[in-house]
Amino acid sequence: MATQTQERRLAFLVTALPPIAWVVAFFLAPLAIVWAYSFGQNVSLTEVDISGTFANYARALEPLYLGIFAKSIFVAGVTTLLCLVVGFPVALAIVFASERWRPWMLLLIMLPFWTNLLIRTYALMAVLRTEGYVNFTLEWFWNNASWLMTLVGLQPLGEFTPLQLLYNNFAVVVGLVYVHLPFMVLPLYAALDRLDKSLIEASLDLGAGHIRTLFSIVVPLALPGIISGIIITFVPALGAYLTPDLLGGPDSQMIANVIERQFKRANDWPFGAALSFLLMYATFIAIALRAYLGRGRLKASEF
Amino acid sequence: MSKRRAPLEYNRLWQMRAWLFAVFFFLYAPLVALIAFSFNDSRRTTVWRGFTFKYYDKLFNNDSLLTAFANSLTIAFVATLISLVIGALAAVLLWRYRFRGRALVEGTFALPLVVPEICMGVAMLLFFTRVLPWPNDLPWPLNLGSIIIAHVTFCFPFVALVVGARLASFNKEQEEAARDLGANDWQAFRDVLLPHMRPALIAGGLLAFTLSLDDFVITFFTSGPDTITFPVKVYSMVRFSVTPEVNAASTMLILLTILLMIVMMVMQSRSQRKAKG
Amino acid sequence: MTSTVRKFVSTRPSRRSILQGLGAAAVGITLAPRKYSAWAAEEPKLNFYNWDTYIGETTLADFKEASGIDVNMSLFATNDELFAKLRAGNPGYDVIVPGSEFVERMIQANLLEPLDHAKIPNIKNIAPEFMTDAPFDPGRKYSLPYTWLVIGIGYRKSKVKGVPDSWKWLFDSDAYKGRITVMSDASELFRNCFKYLGHSLNDASPELLKQAEELLTKQKPNIKAFHEDNGQDLLLSGEVDLAMEYNGDIAQIMKEDDDIDFVVPKEGAMRQQDTLAIPKGAPHPENALKFINFIFEPKVGAGITSTILYPSPNAAAVALMPAEYKDNPVIFPPAEVMAKCEYPNYLGPEFSQLLDEAMTRLRAS
Repeated sequence: MATQTQERRLAFLVTALPPIAWVVAFFLAPLAIVWAYSFGQNVSLTEVDISGTFANYARALEPLYLGIFAKSIFVAGVTTLLCLVVGFPVALAIVFASERWRPWMLLLIMLPFWTNLLIRTYALMAVLRTEGYVNFTLEWFWNNASWLMTLVGLQPLGEFTPLQLLYNNFAVVVGLVYVHLPFMVLPLYAALDRLDKSLIEASLDLGAGHIRTLFSIVVPLALPGIISGIIITFVPALGAYLTPDLLGGPDSQMIANVIERQFKRANDWPFGAALSFLLMYATFIAIALRAYLGRGRLKASEF
Repeated sequence: MSKRRAPLEYNRLWQMRAWLFAVFFFLYAPLVALIAFSFNDSRRTTVWRGFTFKYYDKLFNNDSLLTAFANSLTIAFVATLISLVIGALAAVLLWRYRFRGRALVEGTFALPLVVPEICMGVAMLLFFTRVLPWPNDLPWPLNLGSIIIAHVTFCFPFVALVVGARLASFNKEQEEAARDLGANDWQAFRDVLLPHMRPALIAGGLLAFTLSLDDFVITFFTSGPDTITFPVKVYSMVRFSVTPEVNAASTMLILLTILLMIVMMVMQSRSQRKAKG
Repeated sequence: MTSTVRKFVSTRPSRRSILQGLGAAAVGITLAPRKYSAWAAEEPKLNFYNWDTYIGETTLADFKEASGIDVNMSLFATNDELFAKLRAGNPGYDVIVPGSEFVERMIQANLLEPLDHAKIPNIKNIAPEFMTDAPFDPGRKYSLPYTWLVIGIGYRKSKVKGVPDSWKWLFDSDAYKGRITVMSDASELFRNCFKYLGHSLNDASPELLKQAEELLTKQKPNIKAFHEDNGQDLLLSGEVDLAMEYNGDIAQIMKEDDDIDFVVPKEGAMRQQDTLAIPKGAPHPENALKFINFIFEPKVGAGITSTILYPSPNAAAVALMPAEYKDNPVIFPPAEVMAKCEYPNYLGPEFSQLLDEAMTRLRAS
């Protein structure tokens, strides 16, 4: 028996040590330096004095920055929701595809994402801009429709006005969805794969429709995947700064843009650190709250 | 499992097909534009001025771009492997064991997901210049070490999250059954748990590879003169203007990936056929 | 011991330095960047940190032939990135190309190595006004001019009435509503706005900044985008008709589209220099000096200039250039306008913070 306990302990150590050691050495240690900076002040262009001040946090909590926080959360939220709506059927399709086709569909989803983010964003811009393909296509249809109308004796449609698809918040959301879609599809696929298909068949046999089966059987089964998908889509979307930079209009400023400016142009690392950590504290409170509420629900269901 | 799939052929539904078509169109239209313009005889991406291979010619004579490319692939490959091991262990740890400080560990594992990229980049910059200076004249690929470490740090939580979601659906009785049949911890892990985790490992590995291959911000802060990666190189080129040369490089990358995947799949289907006899 | 081995030993962190580093990190003291022990003969290598498309096509190969030194060029995209990267310690660069405003910052931050002018005899080829008129680096102790540039308005001739030779069209008019793009960099945007308001761009008064912010907030609905560094792309692709941009960038796209022109506003504008400098802790300082001297050879300078089309301070090189370059009013704007242009000083951390906050408010409004 003793050897079995020993073996168990060994198994635990083998499982626990590598990830914990890695996180402590290569994540917490570097992050601790920046965390210390968030309580510091600039004493020269390159030096920061860790004085224990809360001034950076006080500044980060001004309404100006809170407003930008709120806006960023909204944009990231819309992006996540759209990714879920767009990605869920795709994940289902991959799961229900035959063995032969499944790897190809996975590849088809992933392939665009192995092209560099910036190049992809610029390609998207070429499609969306005023003299871009979407507008070219629309113009073609417009002119043909106009021609057809003159042909049957109606007034022509008039001059085509190109759609303004770039440099506004719409473009930012489209760009973020474009960039973050696999972050949603992959966890959904991982959770849905080897879904017990007999459950679905049973539900259908019992007379439930496809839609009802989807929402009462498939979605609950995929819930862990949906949650992890939401987390890993929402959080990077919240931290995105290149997409709003390139696709956004005059008012498409997200919190990550402000943070980036602190570390670069403004050269105010303590304030940048405070803004970053504020973002992290908020996420942590949200996660803790969810765990707490989740626990409450679990207890309620036990009774 | 029954072979009767008829009611579940969702992929035959026209709505599903239309949806998939729309999604793939959304994903690929920009890429097709990109590939087309890598052959355009003008730097301007709105006007077609004739077909040319000159940017491919330039690309293959651009040693630094090719080196950056090799660096990126090496980093992504190694970082994905390490992330898979560490991420899977982290997921199993949180799923199987109840121990003191578990919630703290769980939170800490999720933390790299939450840190804004730029903040992580600066943290790594400070860490690798002040705490653990990484000699920059080590022979290749050891000089990529600091970048690989940084990449694993932000990639492994993605693996852990995806694997964790997968483990939630695992029936623990299976593992117990294996133990009852005399398997030790390692055997039970290898023969029961690992096969169950496989799709999540594939998905997590793909995510990690993608993230690593595409990372610019954190790599920028950890790279030195001899350790330029493809995104870092492309970023500094593209910020001024997208040249068809960059489009050509991306096209090559796309073709290379497709080729690699085809080779892998052909090999896999062959081995499957052999296994079936 | 060969030099490479010695170098490896000398740059490998000792345990003491790691402990020191930990301690320093904990209390936040900056350690001096890693020291490289000097050895008599440097290995024939040089790490050059430059902007993209900012060197002649054969310059590096020619240098290798002339000196046997291999140049490894890597690229950065903005001065901020260059500064952020060197701030914590030089990761091994020998020659960098900072803008003039950042030269001043880097001198203050003690990040640059003084240049030994005796080892750069080709300084004689530089036009004398660039040696004397350099408020950011008096006496040019730390930096030498590589190119110079001036911000102005790039515009599409067929869509704009006349010549938009005033900042008014960008900052204070709805005549081109939705067809304007301005720079997203707070310093470049606001300080050119100071010029429009009739002040020096080195006027660090908070009231003036407030006035400029009000003006731009009012103008914001007419602005289509705040661009990073790609104003010329927006102009070229027909997305906007007026773009605030550097002259060299517009000169490059004018080669592809003859409907585009450039003007420096009559109120004057911000001018800059991109300079060559050696960062502290450079592993090959002797090679760096040789390289800088090589760049100022007349022929080499002309080779670079004919590729990048930026105005060159290298008088001997300009003399070798064809008339279409020398007499190009975009590359060399008229002297009376240039007389009203100024180099930006570094206005200190407080004003930097005010500028950044003004920018954040402007974008959020």
